[in-house]
Amino acid sequence: MLEIKNLKVNINDKEILKGLNLNIKEGEIHALMGINGAGKSTLVKTLSAHYDCEVTDGAITYKKKDLLDLDVSQRANEGIFMSFQNPIEVPGVNNSYFLKTAINEKRKYAGQEDIDTMDFLKLIKDQTAKYNLDKKLLQRDLNEGFSGGEKKRNELIQLLLLDPDLIMLDEIDSGLDVDAIKTVANVINSMLDGKKSVLMITHYDRLLELIKPDFVHILNDGQIVKTGDYSLALELDEKGYEGIGIKDESK
Amino acid sequence: MRVNEIEGLVLPTKKDEEFIKVNFAELFSYDFKNTKSYKFDIMGLEVRKDTKGYANSLFEITKSLDENQVILTINSNIPEPICLIHKIKEDETFFTNSLKIEVKENVKASVIEVFTNTSNNSAYCLNRTFEVDENANFEYAKVQDINDANYLVFNLDIEQKDNSKCKITNFEYGTGVIINNIVNVLDNKNCDYKLNTLVKSQNSSNTANIINTVHNNENSISNINFKHSLKDKSRTVFKAKSIVNKNALYTKAFQNSNTILLSNDATIYAQPHLEILVDELEASHGATTGTLDKEQLLYLQSRGINKDLAYEILLKAFEQKIYDNIEDKLIKEFIDSYERKSYV
Repeated sequence: MLEIKNLKVNINDKEILKGLNLNIKEGEIHALMGINGAGKSTLVKTLSAHYDCEVTDGAITYKKKDLLDLDVSQRANEGIFMSFQNPIEVPGVNNSYFLKTAINEKRKYAGQEDIDTMDFLKLIKDQTAKYNLDKKLLQRDLNEGFSGGEKKRNELIQLLLLDPDLIMLDEIDSGLDVDAIKTVANVINSMLDGKKSVLMITHYDRLLELIKPDFVHILNDGQIVKTGDYSLALELDEKGYEGIGIKDESK
Repeated sequence: MRVNEIEGLVLPTKKDEEFIKVNFAELFSYDFKNTKSYKFDIMGLEVRKDTKGYANSLFEITKSLDENQVILTINSNIPEPICLIHKIKEDETFFTNSLKIEVKENVKASVIEVFTNTSNNSAYCLNRTFEVDENANFEYAKVQDINDANYLVFNLDIEQKDNSKCKITNFEYGTGVIINNIVNVLDNKNCDYKLNTLVKSQNSSNTANIINTVHNNENSISNINFKHSLKDKSRTVFKAKSIVNKNALYTKAFQNSNTILLSNDATIYAQPHLEILVDELEASHGATTGTLDKEQLLYLQSRGINKDLAYEILLKAFEQKIYDNIEDKLIKEFIDSYERKSYV
């Protein structure tokens, strides 16, 4: 599904990713871990075409297309969803209107007709009820005045309704209580159908306990330096980065 | 006829502090072939000689060409807004029009005025006086849609009695040369005055808003709120001056201008200004200028919304705050459904 070769990315003329290689196949769950500043968020931001990220070298192939040829919205409509670490507040834009517009843009991209309003309302009702997500969030302006937890829940509602193929979670567990992390895990696990893939960034084992990764990668100084299975996360949790031989290059 | 050749008229210039940056030269020196008084399409309205001395000389242009003022008196509550549609059709003509709206004691009323044109090189110079009596509640909305190579001078003088409310919402859509000159001297107590304006400019439009508010008595509120979204080579001036005099205890005086510049060539000169001579009050003034938030733009795009649509959604959200401030549901509906083509 996604193949990244020798990816080099600058932010503000500073090289953050220094020749990163990663291959994600259909249905696989990958966890990306690493010390602060290793380049984890830069990778997911690059994949979603964030304006901060300047690709200086390398190639990214997604569903056999050159991902670097696609702009932000095209990538989203091709099925890439990035859950923001800090979802942006957009006052004046109704959440429900935003979501319906996003769904219709995706449908238009796929050559389908706009979603019927009643179908949209039913979809919202069904999905929010299924995971006990507060439907009232949709009546408010997009993320405006939402608590940290509400913002993350709103990301989950978007995730459910947009039904992407590659789910990228950038520290979705940060600032969430135990129950909310369980909700995240329930949503993600229920979406996994053997075809959807997940790339999740986390610092904590708790989320990985609930969404078991097939691969755990340790990113250090802009490159993946170690790859293993879930046991690598457990080892990291027990020994820390230094304990598994990862040296903080920024020190 | 040239405005600067009208005898006895002392015209403002852009060098005057009150009108700094407002470019009058083009309008005042233009040689119009005709002058005309624009007549209302309403029968039976009283006409009086306008004898009032106004706060600045822009009011005198209309008065010097036509000293008569049409009086619209509203004596009882009206369920629907009164709609006045002005269409300027003739080329090379300097039109004048003067209207006083009197809203009597305890009456709730609303008026909408629309200004459009199909003319070339014409000007429309208007005087408006709103007299809002005790406990009266008046809501007024103006849609200005005067296009290229035409001028509009809109002079508004407001008089509010005790416990009155006056809410004005302007939608400046046109691409012509527009000067709005709005004066409210709050001599009475417990007055509520709100002035909201959306300036949505494009091409080479040139819009100036000169707002003067004076608080002379206790417990009144003035809230001046402007949003500008400026495209292409449009140019806008926002000058708001609110004076709170010694007797105006417990005044609330607010001024706010927010501008989004949508091109490198669009410009805004914004000058909110407070003069306060009393300690017991609440007041604030501010002006912001910027572009659309790129983080917000990216967030919408990251959910599949293409850049142009995301841009449109964010701009609408910015402008929406002016619509949201309208109280009268029917005015809201009117503005929502407004399309220039329906009125030209």
